[in-house]
Parts: sequence; C-alpha cells; structure tokens
Amino acid sequence: MAFDDLLKKNSVRSPWLFRINAGSCNGCDVELATTALIPRYDVERLGCRYCGSPRHADIVLITGPLTARIHDQVLRVWNEIPEPKVTVAVGICPISGGVFREGYSITGPIDKYIPIDVNVPGCPPRPQAILEAVALGLKIWKQKLGLEA
Amino acid sequence: MDTLLGILHMLIFPGGIFALVIGFFFKGLDRRVEARLQRRVGPPLVQPWLDTAKLLTKETLIPKTACKEAFLLAPVVGFAGMAVCAAFIPVPGVFDGLYNMGDLLVLFYLLPIPAIAMMMGGSASSSPFGAVGFSREMIIMLAYETPLLMILLATAMLVGKSLNGGDWGAEFSLLKIVEWQEANGSLGFNPVMIPAFLAYLIFLPGTMGVAPFDIPEAETEVVEGPLLEYGGPLLALFHVGSALKTFVVLGLGVAMFFPGTICDFWLINLLWFLAKCLVLMLVSLTVVKSATGRYRIDQAFRFFVLVPTMLALCSLLLVWLM
Amino acid sequence: MAGFLKVLFRNLLEGPSTDPFPLGPTRMEPERLRGKVVVDETLCMGCGICVYSCVAGAINIQHTEEGHTITIWHNACCRCASCKQFCPVHAITLVKDWHSAHEERDKYNVVEQKSIQYEPCSVCGKKIRPVPTEILKKLYVNNSDIDLEHVQHLCPACRQLEDARRSAGLPAAAEQPAVES
Repeated sequence: MAFDDLLKKNSVRSPWLFRINAGSCNGCDVELATTALIPRYDVERLGCRYCGSPRHADIVLITGPLTARIHDQVLRVWNEIPEPKVTVAVGICPISGGVFREGYSITGPIDKYIPIDVNVPGCPPRPQAILEAVALGLKIWKQKLGLEA
Repeated sequence: MDTLLGILHMLIFPGGIFALVIGFFFKGLDRRVEARLQRRVGPPLVQPWLDTAKLLTKETLIPKTACKEAFLLAPVVGFAGMAVCAAFIPVPGVFDGLYNMGDLLVLFYLLPIPAIAMMMGGSASSSPFGAVGFSREMIIMLAYETPLLMILLATAMLVGKSLNGGDWGAEFSLLKIVEWQEANGSLGFNPVMIPAFLAYLIFLPGTMGVAPFDIPEAETEVVEGPLLEYGGPLLALFHVGSALKTFVVLGLGVAMFFPGTICDFWLINLLWFLAKCLVLMLVSLTVVKSATGRYRIDQAFRFFVLVPTMLALCSLLLVWLM
Repeated sequence: MAGFLKVLFRNLLEGPSTDPFPLGPTRMEPERLRGKVVVDETLCMGCGICVYSCVAGAINIQHTEEGHTITIWHNACCRCASCKQFCPVHAITLVKDWHSAHEERDKYNVVEQKSIQYEPCSVCGKKIRPVPTEILKKLYVNNSDIDLEHVQHLCPACRQLEDARRSAGLPAAAEQPAVES
C-alpha cells in the first residue's frame, strides 16, 4: 500500500493541537497560547493549529493537576479524540501533582488514568520547551503509525 | 455527449481537480501571507494538502445520537455543490463556462450550498454546539446573501440595459457579461459599479467564514460549531469543499468586475486570471483576517445590513436611474 | 483605519521575528532564566532546609551511616528557587537548561541525584561529613593560625575539645594521646 504509506508519512507534518485544562491555574495555558500567538515561538511552522474540537485533535496537551471536580469530564473528552493520538502532559501538575500533590481535591497524577506519551515539566514550562515536546510528540506519532521503530 | 462534457468540466476543469489545486494553493498562500503580516514564518505552502492527508488517516467517529444519513451526506453535498459551481465560472480567454444561459442566477442558488451543508451537518450531529452553529450560520447567510443578490442584479441590469440600447433589460449570462466588459471596459472601473465592488469585497470574508465573520465556526465560543462532531475523511471533504468555494467566489468576482485578458495565448490568460484572483484574495481575505478580531453575531448582522447592503443598493439605484 | 494597514506593512517589511528553535539552534537565552536545579555535592551538608522549604516536595534527602543522598525530581520541581534561597552553604543553583521535554518512560529518571560519602573523624573515628574547605575558610576567616586541613576531618565533638584546648594554651590533640571519654 504505497499510497497509504505516503498519506501516513505526510500526516505527521500536520499535527493539530488540542488543549485540555484539567483544573490548571492558567499559567501553562498562557504559555500554550504563547506558542501559537507570539511571533517568536510560531508553532504553525510545524504545521500545527490549535483546534477547538476534540474530534479534530492529534496531539493533546493536558494542563492542570486533574482536580476531583473535573476528573470525569477530562477522561470523557480524552476518549472522544480519534486514534492515533499523542498525549502530552504540560507542566508539573499533570505529571506529578506538582505543588498540589496529595491534596484532598486532586485525583492525579494523570498517568494513573490516561496513557501519557510525553512529559514536559516546568511551572510553567518555557514555550520553547513546549515546542520541543510537540516535536518529540511527532516522533512518537510516527512510532504509533509504524513508520519508525 | 453534452452531459458527459459537462460532467468532465465539473470534475476536472475548471471544477473538481483544477479548482481543488488552485483552492489549496490559495489557502496555503493565505496562511503563509497571514503569518508574514503578523511577523511569523507560517506553515509550508503545501499545508492544506498535508492536512487533508492527515485527516484521511484518522478514524471516522459518528455520534450515537446523530442522524447518520444526513451527517454523512452533508460534506458530500457541500463538495458536490461547489464542484458544479466551479464549472459555471468563465475563465476569460480559456473557458466559456458551462451552459451560458442565466448562469448568474444558477450561481446565486448554488453558492449557499456549502453553508447549507454545514447547517445540515451541524443540526444532524445532535450536538448543542452544532445547533448554535447552525443558527449562527443561518443568520450570517441571510446577512450576506442580500448584498450578493443586489450586486448580481446591478451587474445584470447594467449589462442588460446597455445591450438593449438603454431600455429595460437584464443579462444573466456570465459569458455575455464578460464579453460586454471586454468591449466596454471592466465593471470594476465603472463609477456606477464601484460601490457594488466594495460590497463584494465585504461579502467575500462573510461567505468564506473567515475573521471577522467566522462566527458560526468560532472555535473559542462554539468549538467550531457545525464542524464539531466531524473528524477524519468527512472533515477533509469539508475542507476540500471550502477550497473549491475559495476558487468559485474569487473567480466569480474576477469574472464580474475585472475579466480583461492580455493576449490570445490560453496559458497566459489563465495565469493572468489566477493572478487577479490572488490579488482579490489578499485584499479581501488575508489582510482583513490577519488584523481583525471576531464580531458578535448581532454586530455582524447589523454591519452587513448597514454597509454592504447599502453599498450594493446604491449601485442598484444608480444603474436603475441611469 | 489606516493604522492597522501601516502596522501590517511594517511587519511585512521587517520580516519574521521567529526564533528558529525546534528546527535550528535558539537565539533566545534570557539572563535570569530559571531552569533545572543542580546540586553541588562538594558543598551539600545534608542539613535538610531545602526539603523543608520545597513547596512541591520535590527534594528528598536520605541519611545512612555511610553518607547521604540528595534527590531532586524535576517532574515535581516548580522552579521557585526557594531551596536556593534558603541553602546555607549555597550548594543549590538553578542553571539555564530549559530542555525538559522527555518521554513517559523516562518519567522517574529525570532526577538530580548526588551521593555524599562520609569519612571517619581523624581523632575518634566516627563517620562524619567533612566540612567543605570553602565553608571552613568563611568560618575561620579571623583565625588564620588554624590548620584548615586538620580541622576539616574532625567530628563536632572533637572540634569542640580541640577549641577548648587551644583556648587554654594546650597543644593540639594530634600531638597527644587521645583523651579518654
């Protein structure tokens, strides 16, 4: 299936980003907006686009420590995203709980419920670190498509 | 034989494949220029192709509560409507347009098809955001179809009156309009038609659904509205339809206002036509898009009623009084 | 109306201001960027004030008979730099390295871990953390006659005795047989 391979090979050049706010303080969300809106960190160079609907997403960026209140909604939205998808945990909150670790209102870390592919720690991480994470996510996407070992 | 030729025109040139290539090229260039205007680098020129390739590899999800037939049919209807539409656009010096009888009226009925397909998909997806997007699409469509009708009427009446020797008349054949302009000068330079041309410039972002009139598909408010539940190949078909529509509305604008040719060789004429389309796109879509925010739906409706409708009405009255 | 056109035109003329980072080397390195936390194992005394002050609980110090191990997990560190602020011996610094993205399988490997081995006291043989020379220099800045190399390998109890002896004008412990109890 040469045509199929061609499609797959080109598909990784068009990663559409979708962000889930799992109870974040908005710091990481501001940095995510920075990667898209500030000319210095133009994320569109990689072919990325922030999309509003989970159905269009390829790379999911999750921010926030997964509060008890939003737990079910986050898992539901994440399950709406079609395969193949790459999940990126942005900031220390989704990775380990961060400063809210072991708090009464936190059900994270998020990899207890969702298979995470890339972590990018920081509070918040630099926009460039987020770009690096997206680039790493593309590598993992290729692996998921079976293009790279 | 005629039918077969017509289908070929709809699928290969100027509809279908040709319009798709041009539409995707324009869309890629649009994103690139927009990025440059905002001091960014922007995606590569082939980005629309890459997006389509990506969407084809994704899985298709159909909501359990959706009306499945309408949901699947909507993008196909949008694509088909625009492929047919593209065959009616005359490329001066290259192609005369399909069935040169009253095609301005046919175009007026065919042009809203992508918007109607979007509404169909949005309401069939059973999502509340789809429903909100549906209502917004309906309102904005009513707002921009009115000036379009007046622009088309003004053009038809001006040419018809002239062909009739100053008497009442209307000429709805795009080919006749193009030929008339080649004899009497472009309508875009005609002082009577300048308000109509300005109205057409405002109509373009409205019908293409780009800022500041991207209210139905606003991703921050109604999470892309009617497109919310679409994904994978179905969404790709919507994007293809939108690319065809880019070609159609720009081509219609050029054919109505600046159809002049520069020589007899068909390739040069084709490139000249595309260059004019490109300039029209940069002026009316890209520059406006990269510098504006989004209107509220009531503001957009009021703006369309106050500015482009009045401009088009002004042209229509001038043509009528002349 | 013409204002935004002027801005757009200027943008077009000036060209993109994008940093080439993921496709090339970066040109952006702010002076006071707070990146990864680094521990200087020659200075760390294992006092634990960093563990106490860390808001995210990212620092752990394990004490054994043979030494102590300080571990900082970057995936929990919020780079507030309060450990650097409170460290009495300035063993903790925040370097400018912001490359923090990693795959999930490395989640628990992105740590800053330093082990400090204890040495026996030169007098009584108890395992102690030898005081770093730089700290000794600061401590004994007014007592230039003291041999820092000798004091470094004394446990706190022996150092007290030594100090008392020196105040009384007696010879240092190394020249005498070890004092009982």
